[in-house]
Amino acid sequence: MKCILFSRPKHDDTMEYLYHYSKELIKLSESIGITTINLEKEAANKKFVVERIISQNPDLIIFNGHGSSRTISGHKDEILFSCDDKNLDILKGKIIYSLTCSSASKLGIESVNRGALVFIGYKYDFAVGRDPDSEASPRRDKIAKFFFEPSNILSSFLIHGKTAKIAVNKAKEKMMENISYLSMTRDFPDAIHYAPYLYGNYAGLIIRGHEEASI
Amino acid sequence: MTEENEFKKIEKEIVIERLRQTPPTFKISLGSEEGKFLSRDDLIKEVKSESRIGEEIINIQLGYLRAFKKGLFS
Repeated sequence: MKCILFSRPKHDDTMEYLYHYSKELIKLSESIGITTINLEKEAANKKFVVERIISQNPDLIIFNGHGSSRTISGHKDEILFSCDDKNLDILKGKIIYSLTCSSASKLGIESVNRGALVFIGYKYDFAVGRDPDSEASPRRDKIAKFFFEPSNILSSFLIHGKTAKIAVNKAKEKMMENISYLSMTRDFPDAIHYAPYLYGNYAGLIIRGHEEASI
Repeated sequence: MTEENEFKKIEKEIVIERLRQTPPTFKISLGSEEGKFLSRDDLIKEVKSESRIGEEIINIQLGYLRAFKKGLFS
């Protein structure tokens, strides 16, 4: 049986949004009979993540969190993996999607060098726009959805067994559609100011490693 | 000032001017500490101080303008 591990911290404003939008992915994964490991809130820590990767050998790992060019973080920004990590070898043979800032830049390369099948992520900071009328509630936020829809499409395609290349292409198509909408619409006047940041996500989304990999 | 530095200074001014046109209610999360959403004024400060995030904002804004000019968004 296929297995997917999710890391879902929820300790600050941005993480609240990632946490909210990844809920539907957990449901999707469970609904199609995939063994789903949901390490959320305090459980998104290094000890638990490493233990579960070793014991349950997930095919796909979806990291939500903060990051840098050399790191992926979990709950309260504890570093889960870094370029200097001796444990990086446990990612061998895995498909990784890192919804974090910049980690595809260097950690993505190092992970693949150490045996990860494919590392999908962002080489620049991952931007999230917020609707000022939402009172920071992800559920009510009309702007954030333009940033998270493409990412969730990417994850959904991976969960359904599509290749990394197809998943990323579909996400980029949606990003371009949303950028065009934000750039042109008169539905709400502030839309155009968010478009450049979604374009930054589009430009930063890359695949390191085996593009044809799938679960 | 070298030609390259002069060019960078102009790029920075263009981006600051674009940010000034952003509504004061605008909020974006962009690799900032503690996952805080940045306001328009925060973004301008980052660009002015030439911080890592400031450099990223310049690249994002200029990248978007170049793509827009190429007609990528239609």
